[in-house]
Amino acid sequence: MQETQTEKLQIEKLPVEKLIEELKKKVLDLLNIQDVRPETIDNNAPLVGNELGMDSIDILELVTVIEKDYGVRIDNKELGEKVFASFASLAHYIHDNSTLV
Amino acid sequence: MPSEGIFITGLGILSPLGRGRDATVHSLKNSVSGIRTINLFDEAADQVTPVAPLDFAFEAEDGVPRTHAMALAAARDAMEGLDFAPDAVVIGVTTGGMSKTELLLQAKVVAPEEYAYHGVGTVATYLADRLSCTGPALSLSTACSSGTAALKIAMEMIRHGKAKRVLAGGVDALCRFTYFGFFSLQLLDPKGARPLDRDRAGISLGEGAAMLLLEAAQSPPPHAIARILGSGISCDAYHPTAPHPTGDGARKAMQDAIADAGMQAADIGYINLHGTATRDNDASEAMALKAVFADRMPPLSSTKGMTGHSLGGAGAVECALCSLSIAESILPGNIGCTNPDPSLGIVPLLQPEIRSVQAALSNSFGFGGNNAAVVIGSVNTRPPDRTESHPQSLKITGSSCLTGAGGTEASFQKFLQGVSLAGTFGSEEISKDLQQRQVRRLKRISRMALALAAAAHKDGGGKTMPSSIFFGTGWGPLSETYDFLTKLFESNMKFPSPTDFINSVHNAPAGQVAMEFKSTGANMTASGGDYSFEQALLLASLLAHEGEEVLLFGADEMHRELSPLFDLSAARDTTPSDGGGALMAIATEKPAAGPVLTLRAYGRSQQDAGQTIMNSLNISENINTRYGAVFAGIPLAYEETAKDQLKSFLSHSGFHGTVIDYRKYTGQFATASAVAAVLAVKTMEKGVLPAGLTGDRDVSLEKKGILVMGLGPYYTAMDILN
Repeated sequence: MQETQTEKLQIEKLPVEKLIEELKKKVLDLLNIQDVRPETIDNNAPLVGNELGMDSIDILELVTVIEKDYGVRIDNKELGEKVFASFASLAHYIHDNSTLV
Repeated sequence: MPSEGIFITGLGILSPLGRGRDATVHSLKNSVSGIRTINLFDEAADQVTPVAPLDFAFEAEDGVPRTHAMALAAARDAMEGLDFAPDAVVIGVTTGGMSKTELLLQAKVVAPEEYAYHGVGTVATYLADRLSCTGPALSLSTACSSGTAALKIAMEMIRHGKAKRVLAGGVDALCRFTYFGFFSLQLLDPKGARPLDRDRAGISLGEGAAMLLLEAAQSPPPHAIARILGSGISCDAYHPTAPHPTGDGARKAMQDAIADAGMQAADIGYINLHGTATRDNDASEAMALKAVFADRMPPLSSTKGMTGHSLGGAGAVECALCSLSIAESILPGNIGCTNPDPSLGIVPLLQPEIRSVQAALSNSFGFGGNNAAVVIGSVNTRPPDRTESHPQSLKITGSSCLTGAGGTEASFQKFLQGVSLAGTFGSEEISKDLQQRQVRRLKRISRMALALAAAAHKDGGGKTMPSSIFFGTGWGPLSETYDFLTKLFESNMKFPSPTDFINSVHNAPAGQVAMEFKSTGANMTASGGDYSFEQALLLASLLAHEGEEVLLFGADEMHRELSPLFDLSAARDTTPSDGGGALMAIATEKPAAGPVLTLRAYGRSQQDAGQTIMNSLNISENINTRYGAVFAGIPLAYEETAKDQLKSFLSHSGFHGTVIDYRKYTGQFATASAVAAVLAVKTMEKGVLPAGLTGDRDVSLEKKGILVMGLGPYYTAMDILN
């Protein structure tokens, strides 16, 4: 029983971590940010107001791509503030709500 | 202009409140809202938000886009019963023929004649044509402040003695481009616009046209409706879309407009707000209002809860509403707001009020941080006498250009050798000296703009920053326009790029430059096909203050799909080309040591265009003693006409110096004249026309100037003198 639970946890954990990596690459590529490497980005740092130099327009661009690529819609500011708090929160939200991942 | 006033003597309006004065006033009195929930563009159910369309029929010529038809209907109403043509037409518009273009592109139509009305500048020329106006037909595209900015320009044309009667206004029709663009920005309120409301959640997109006939007169003409007293414009230089958080630019525009009217804040009896109902606009506008009016806030309301937001049309529609408010003593209610947001600290009129006011202020703010405000007064208000300087010329302090050959030096060297500069220089190379962070989400034309501005500024010594920016572009950001529409159609209206949308507005490049230079003065973008740079020069000579440092530039990008459809000269050219030119300058009224750039003529070509240009130069001496060379702009699409015009000019003027058909060097693009102006400045600095250009031998300019002419359906003449 315990074994199965551990296994389940790992299966759930892996996609989120993979998703974080994928999202970092996607963001840098989509927003044409050339001077930051994905591995240096802190998973828990906010997307806006850090070394990425992103603003509200970039977030909206990201909203479009996340809906297109993962089928997850983030269509209001309150939800957006929660989801885009960090790459980790973004990945978890997509993971929990996506119909495509 | 002592004791003379500018009167609104004709008014045409088509808005969701109805057509014409009576219907509009009836709607204002009854708070009729034109905002309704309909599926206008076959959008998906979860993309439907309320809009404010014109739900009545109006006359429209076959094949003419809705924006043009609305504009002409309003213009005819404004000119009804008058048997003269206006001296000039000035229109604020953002979408041009987009409502038609987007359907053509979706259907993959590749016949250029179908796109004849695409250009933002074609609205003004269409009206001028139908109204037989032979003066300038100017188009301003400063996003949502365009309509108000048009009235400012019209006022200044009259004040500068350039015109007596100007038809000015704004227009935009609903289209997919703006609907899905604002949808992608999450700025459309699913419940409809609720300006100043606690729960407001965005705009409702609308459509509308308003045209005002402005006339100079010593005393009120019998048919005068109101008078236009003052206007102010400014730029936030802060962010491409978000307003300045404390509304600094908006405050400056309002204060300038009130001061320009010779008034105090306390003289304003009503304010028609920009009041779009986005969280940010209303908060920022409220801050600005409190800074201007403090605890003596006049009655105020946003009418966008009734009319929706008609973008380029909005400012003109609201100035028309202010005129009617004054003429009919009706202050509109702020419909859509049920719980005024206490955090704003301003409370609008929730219901219309019958009240007589002497002066009203109308606010308009737009993308690019463009702000404009106008003060409209009752017919009997007496404006103060004005004594003002009117700088007519620009003393050039720095210059730069971009062509297929590269930057300024590379372009100029090739030009001197008589070698073609045609082609397109790589986007990455253009922006190689710019910060990657700064340009990461910019496409070709905005990169060109920043590179041109930086190079001209550096050439001018790189010390002080220009306070005002004047930009001309024939076609605006084509890459963003194309990419936005392509993604929109490919995703079945679901996933267009919000970044492409905000960067697609014609004033985006000038907005980028303003942010870079922190230029908080005027920020004007003009679009008029092959004469766009000359329009920008005209705006600079109307708006720049004596001694003010300005940046004047023009640029167009070649886009493989769109340029051949939109620009008939580009379509016929064998080498696809683009580029631009920029000048740093100081506005001056007094003759200064050169080089000094002056616009001498701008008008619609008649049969005797050559003679007209000659007359407008106002030369008492022999033309050969003033000019050492003529640079002639001959758009390929109008080659025959233009060559005839040039021949006629040469025979009337007796000019026998070197004539250079500059598009043979630059290639065919709308703002080739901006490059020509820069090449002329450089040539004068050198003082010699080399054999490569004259085809014969080196010819000394002997300190004489160069005349740069634009030919074709419109004629222009600007000169650079030492």
